[in-house]
Amino acid sequence: MKKIFTSVLLVLVMVISVVAAGCSSKESSSQKDSKETSPAKESVKVGMVTDSGTIDDKSFNQGTWEGILKYKNEKKTIEEKYLQPSGEQHTDYVNAVNDLVDSGYKIIVTPGFKFETAINEAASNHKDTTFILIDGMTHKGDFKFVKHDNVVSVFFKENESAFLAGVAAALSTNTGKLGFIGGMEIPPVQRFGWGYQAGVKYANEKFGTKAEIVDYLYQGSFNDTAAGQTLAAGMYNKGVDIIFHAAGSVGIGVFNEAKQRAEKGQKVYVIGVDVDQFETGKISSGKSVTLTSAMKRIDVAAYDYIDAKLKGKFPGGEIITLSLAENGVGLPENNPNLSEDTIKKIAEVKKEILEKKITVPSTKEELAAFKK
Amino acid sequence: MWDAITSIVPLALTYTAPLLVIAIGGLFSERSGVVNIGLEGLMGIGAFTSAFMISTTYGSLGDVAIWLGLAAAALSGGVFSLLHAFASVTMKADQVVSGTAVNILSSAITVYLARSLTGSANIQIIKGLIRFNVPGLSAIPVMGPLFFQNANIAIFIVLLIVLISWYVLYRLPFGLRLRACGENPHAADSMGVNVIKMRYAGVFISGILAGLGGGFVITTYSGEFSPLVYSGLGFLALAALIFGKWNPWGVLGAALFFGFAKTVADMSRLFEALKTMPNILFNTFPYVATIVALVLFSKNAAGPRAAGEPYDVGKR
Repeated sequence: MKKIFTSVLLVLVMVISVVAAGCSSKESSSQKDSKETSPAKESVKVGMVTDSGTIDDKSFNQGTWEGILKYKNEKKTIEEKYLQPSGEQHTDYVNAVNDLVDSGYKIIVTPGFKFETAINEAASNHKDTTFILIDGMTHKGDFKFVKHDNVVSVFFKENESAFLAGVAAALSTNTGKLGFIGGMEIPPVQRFGWGYQAGVKYANEKFGTKAEIVDYLYQGSFNDTAAGQTLAAGMYNKGVDIIFHAAGSVGIGVFNEAKQRAEKGQKVYVIGVDVDQFETGKISSGKSVTLTSAMKRIDVAAYDYIDAKLKGKFPGGEIITLSLAENGVGLPENNPNLSEDTIKKIAEVKKEILEKKITVPSTKEELAAFKK
Repeated sequence: MWDAITSIVPLALTYTAPLLVIAIGGLFSERSGVVNIGLEGLMGIGAFTSAFMISTTYGSLGDVAIWLGLAAAALSGGVFSLLHAFASVTMKADQVVSGTAVNILSSAITVYLARSLTGSANIQIIKGLIRFNVPGLSAIPVMGPLFFQNANIAIFIVLLIVLISWYVLYRLPFGLRLRACGENPHAADSMGVNVIKMRYAGVFISGILAGLGGGFVITTYSGEFSPLVYSGLGFLALAALIFGKWNPWGVLGAALFFGFAKTVADMSRLFEALKTMPNILFNTFPYVATIVALVLFSKNAAGPRAAGEPYDVGKR
């Protein structure tokens, strides 16, 4: 009996492997076909390694990936692939990068500050490969920048988009009480918080609003959805009507609480982060609890630097900070929950930032000075 | 202080609901003699099914979709748990190993299905169970604001399940037989009880309840299915089961304890009265207390005697 079973199993395995092999060879041949038919020159392989979370996290990874896909669909000169590393440690990231390099990927995009040390190592090992490191800079673990000619480090002025969000919140609040929930207390999240504080303060001065951030805290993680809901419930109970979250999936809990209340007719709002979170805030009536979103155009960064590399203008070895001026951060184009008047005032403020009449604080000290 | 309490209690009860129902599921399984490490995975299956069901049918069915989603969650959990039952009861595999397999399989298959069915591993629902004021009861002073204002129906459903579970386990012949299979299956067998059948029943009920728990996770506090649903609630339920001494009322107490500790910990940063307490105290409190309680009471808190052992007719 056992023998029969084993032999059946063996046969099955063989059949499956033959079929699988057949499939894969078909695939590769069809790829070849498409290459031959397309008149463009040989496509460049662009790889991406995901940060913690998955490729469809509606945030960092997805933003990066969408930028790459957009480039592919528009220019059709690249071939793309992403790898999810087996863990979130330095070596996991290095291994994932090595795998991509070994399979011929020439441009590698990595989103998130966790890649800093891994890319530092990979960049010196693979001089021919180009790296786009989003939201981080290469260093050895001591936070001292190490220059690699094949790496561009891209940062964002989160504080500028949060500044505009703060102005929007101050102009839109009915109770005059605002809240902020951050994820981990790391620089990009802190910059969101500082910009937000400064924006509220600025609106109070310039437009005579009387808004105050009564709760300002960091939850301590990016994934405790239940805690996000609890914190949001506590804030809304205290009369806060707009919460700005910069907390990944903790923010999903914030949205969930706001939606619960909005279903019952309460006027509460959430300000989204990183991407336009209007859809996330939708309730059954078709309205959304998303006031606006403090966006970070990760997709733009990925797109632009792939483009720069392919056009031979790659700013290797540089640290680049994308701001409002480059359209690297900002609010979404459509904000159905903001009034005409608010939108106009935000545009004014944005213009002032672009004309450098306002310098949005980007450190704690600058914020303290700004508040004086 | 009163503000803080009226904020915390309804939320804590809402957070307790899924945890409690999963733990009660574990109770049925372990009482029948099958250790169920796979609660986490069964919960995840339920979460995925309910999120998928609600997100696809809400547009046409409205609020009915939420209840349909919960029913589907329970059913899918039950069906999935049969894998565990087959491996550990019929095939007499190690129950811990097969439970672990359920966890691994579940977290992979749900994300895979979510992606192939919707294009994204995150499935968001438009609307879950909305908190409401219980008519009449919410006007009672003190009790009203704590338990009946802003209450989530999930906790009432789960409390009803606890009551029914107690009745089934301790007042019906079925419950006596089920417990007998967990204590001494040979004796039960000699009295004409079909041990295999009872154990299948125990595991199946645990799957239903754990799946329902997953549905409650989606419809109460999470609002979307994502790989983050697997954050250890099933294991916390196992801890509540042990802490509650494999008894419905004990489990209820333990789950409430965890629910409150977690909510107070999260909320502590918002209220002046609690701000001064160090946060780490609240965050670690339930786990430290569990260990202490286990050390103190483990002598007379032994679980079902035959739990974990495959039933072998020939063994004496």
